[in-house]
Amino acid sequence: MSSGKSTAPGTPEVIVETRNLTKIYRDFWGRQKVRALKALDLTIYRGEVFGLLGPNGSGKTTTMKLLLGLLFPTEGQALVFGRDATDVSKNERIGYLPEETYLYRFLTGEETLEFFGRLFNMPAAVRRQRTAELLELVGLTAARKRQVREYSKGMARRLGLAQALINDPELILLDEPTTGLDPIGTRAMKDLILRLRDQGKTIIMCSHLLADVQDVCDRIGILYDGELKELGRVDALLKVRDMTEIRFSGGDGALVDEVKQVIERHNGRIHFIGNPTTTLEELFLQIIRESEAHPGRRVRGGISGDGH
Amino acid sequence: MVIENLLPPFPQWFLPALGIWIGVLALVALVGFFLGWLVVALERGPREALVRNWQAVVQALDDFVRRLSLKRAHGLAYLAVKESIRRRVIAVFVVFLVLLMFAGWHIDPASREPAVLYLNFVLSSTTYLMLLLALFIGSFSLPTDIRNRTIHTVVTKPVRASEIILGRLSGFAWVTTFILVGMGVVSYFFVIFGLNHRHALPAANLQPVAEAPGETGTLTGLTAPAFGHRHRVYVDADGRGRVEVARGHYHSIRMIGSGPEARYEIGPPEGFLLARVPVYGRLEFRDRDGLDTDKGLNVGDEWTYRGYIQGASPAALIWTFSGLTPQRFPTGLPLELTLGVFRTHKGNIEKPVLGSIAVRNPRTGLYVETEIFESKEFAEVPEIKRLFVPRTIINPPSVQIIQRKKNTVEGIVLSPPNEDVRMELTQKREFDLYEDLCDNGRVEVWIRCIEPGQYFGAAQPDLYIRARDASFIVNMFKACYGIWLVTLIVLAYGITASTFLSAPVAMVATIGVLVGGLFRDFVIKLALGQTYGGGPFESLYRLVTQENVMSELEPGLGTLLLKMADVIARGFLFAVASILPPLGQFGWSDWVAHGFDIPWEHVLIRTLQTLAFVGPVIVAGYFFLRAREIAE
Repeated sequence: MSSGKSTAPGTPEVIVETRNLTKIYRDFWGRQKVRALKALDLTIYRGEVFGLLGPNGSGKTTTMKLLLGLLFPTEGQALVFGRDATDVSKNERIGYLPEETYLYRFLTGEETLEFFGRLFNMPAAVRRQRTAELLELVGLTAARKRQVREYSKGMARRLGLAQALINDPELILLDEPTTGLDPIGTRAMKDLILRLRDQGKTIIMCSHLLADVQDVCDRIGILYDGELKELGRVDALLKVRDMTEIRFSGGDGALVDEVKQVIERHNGRIHFIGNPTTTLEELFLQIIRESEAHPGRRVRGGISGDGH
Repeated sequence: MVIENLLPPFPQWFLPALGIWIGVLALVALVGFFLGWLVVALERGPREALVRNWQAVVQALDDFVRRLSLKRAHGLAYLAVKESIRRRVIAVFVVFLVLLMFAGWHIDPASREPAVLYLNFVLSSTTYLMLLLALFIGSFSLPTDIRNRTIHTVVTKPVRASEIILGRLSGFAWVTTFILVGMGVVSYFFVIFGLNHRHALPAANLQPVAEAPGETGTLTGLTAPAFGHRHRVYVDADGRGRVEVARGHYHSIRMIGSGPEARYEIGPPEGFLLARVPVYGRLEFRDRDGLDTDKGLNVGDEWTYRGYIQGASPAALIWTFSGLTPQRFPTGLPLELTLGVFRTHKGNIEKPVLGSIAVRNPRTGLYVETEIFESKEFAEVPEIKRLFVPRTIINPPSVQIIQRKKNTVEGIVLSPPNEDVRMELTQKREFDLYEDLCDNGRVEVWIRCIEPGQYFGAAQPDLYIRARDASFIVNMFKACYGIWLVTLIVLAYGITASTFLSAPVAMVATIGVLVGGLFRDFVIKLALGQTYGGGPFESLYRLVTQENVMSELEPGLGTLLLKMADVIARGFLFAVASILPPLGQFGWSDWVAHGFDIPWEHVLIRTLQTLAFVGPVIVAGYFFLRAREIAE
């Protein structure tokens, strides 16, 4: 496949580039209603997971739609694979999961993927194979003959993801990918995003769920009121530079006291010492994993544990 | 009823029609390009607007020619079919079946022309239901997709606007085809079973024919009534029977047994469902002074469709047929005639008016009268009169040389001229149609009224040679195909309107096109000033002031302003009418109902016309869809 913008050897290939990208929504009479995006300059490279963050109305979805050619810029330009975003042929290499699952409810899961496969001119045999693979990947093989109208929100979301991957795209745009998914689905989605990144795919996602973004994104851009307020690597942005965290296991109370003394001796200030907590997501997934491995009633904590 | 054959032969039609089409298309494209330029120029300046518009045109060519994927279009067509099924369009077929179930309440089998009633009913119902279906699915599909945002998932695939429109159109065309085929088949059997009836013929009904020379032993009588009518039956001494035509049909008759035990069995109706193939001639008139004229007399009818000739005078209705050969009509010319009769004195109203039919050689002027006939315009059913000019005419009632007289600027011109008149031709008593009366396959058929004070009137399609009968089923298929073509046009307009309008507005716009298309001929007449009472503004003025449409308006500034406004309005009307499909001309129901074969030439012309409208409409829809922001 042809690549996007040519780059010097050693520098990553540019997949998406916006220059002074501006979108103004106007009313019927051409009067300005809202300036949804203001002069966005952004470059996204091959193989990275880029997150767009921002409160409602900050311009995340507008940016996404401009990149997809669903909206036309008022000013500036959006380039995808070095082509104008309104160029339909760029879609050959793109997968898109919309915010809501906009699928034809009268088609079955299998028909949906077959239909979208046709839109990529895929040969019938390839289409069938790809459909089966993706249904397996998103765990909908058993429900492949059911109409989408009968799907739960999570199932429809997974099918939406499958259609976004039908063409094995190089660039995947995910609008709120974990919306409507249960914790297991959320984790599977995040794992999948990381797997796709490992395969060299470029992913742009926008989400309200900051934890999700933090978990998977290499770089993020924070939009507010249509303007890009922050841009950078997640780890660099989140690093608290004037604090140091030590985690260890083993040892006893004496070791902890000794560490405390060392810190105080060097004029350091201790903010917290104690056992770290896991995330609720980790806890939930662990319980589910154990329940699947050992079916039956399982009580952890509970009345006696809580001391009530 | 006669059927107007308004279309010229295909070779004469094609090039002028193509020229007009290219002209209108170029004009519309130029206007579209200019409007597009204007819109972009307001936002981005004239230079960039020009560049962008040009790029859009190049892109369109690319999208329609190089990059159009039939596979993708087929995928979208499949989706359209699925969507239609989900929307339960099959309900239209069910409604049609319900209509047929209750049709018996409205269709009177005892009417004058039951076949016409039955066929008109099924074809009209089919037409209206199909148009309604096309209106809904064409106008609502794309806006629903846009509203539900399902289109977002589609247009973010490598799908071109051309494929979206073509896919939808072809998908819906498949759906309408299936439904139409179903309706056509059901209609056919409904008509067959609806018209089927039998008559009983009790032997007691038959009585010997009184004083029938040479027909000793012939019996006659009436059948028992069925379907609100009876037939007169003749049975000869050998038991061979003949059932007379009534209500547009007849029956076969079979004698079972013999002697006093004989009884008669009358078969199912025949001749109801015809597809006559007519060969039309060119009509000219001859006035009472024997001069050729373009028009007949106007006997005061508001409808000036037929021209009249005076009885008992040299006046005649003259049809010239060409291309006649013994191979085409070996035994003679089977003619069918519908005449208008105008009586200046009524007398016995039941008494028919007498006329004569003759054939004339256009070169030699040899005129041979073949038959005297009666015209019964007050008959219960004004049936088409069947006449026959035999191949060999023996002892005709009248033989003459008649010279046609034409009034020209150089004076009266005779045909044939006096020096070419050969009176010896009239001496023969036996004439061969092709040797004596045809000139290179051309022959004139003259109809004259022979009663003084009475008039015969006719228009060109009133007389034709019934060359043969084509298949009724094929004719029915052609009529359904005509409905399908109109449905396709409505679908194309509906889909295109829905690319930039909301569903209800798109439907109203399509209804506008439909109604405008049905009245397109009138709108063009109005635009060309061929109607009484002036243009739209003058007509409105006359309506308000109750002014007579025939009288001239008072000269003055007001009248001048009205006329000027009408010039602009007429230009606008002409422009609008030029892009409206002539839907009124697509209906072939009357042809089928009245038993005339729809010529394949017409089918070809209407198909090309449909393509000529659908093609540019699809392209317009492509530009509208590309120009809009899907996610707005």
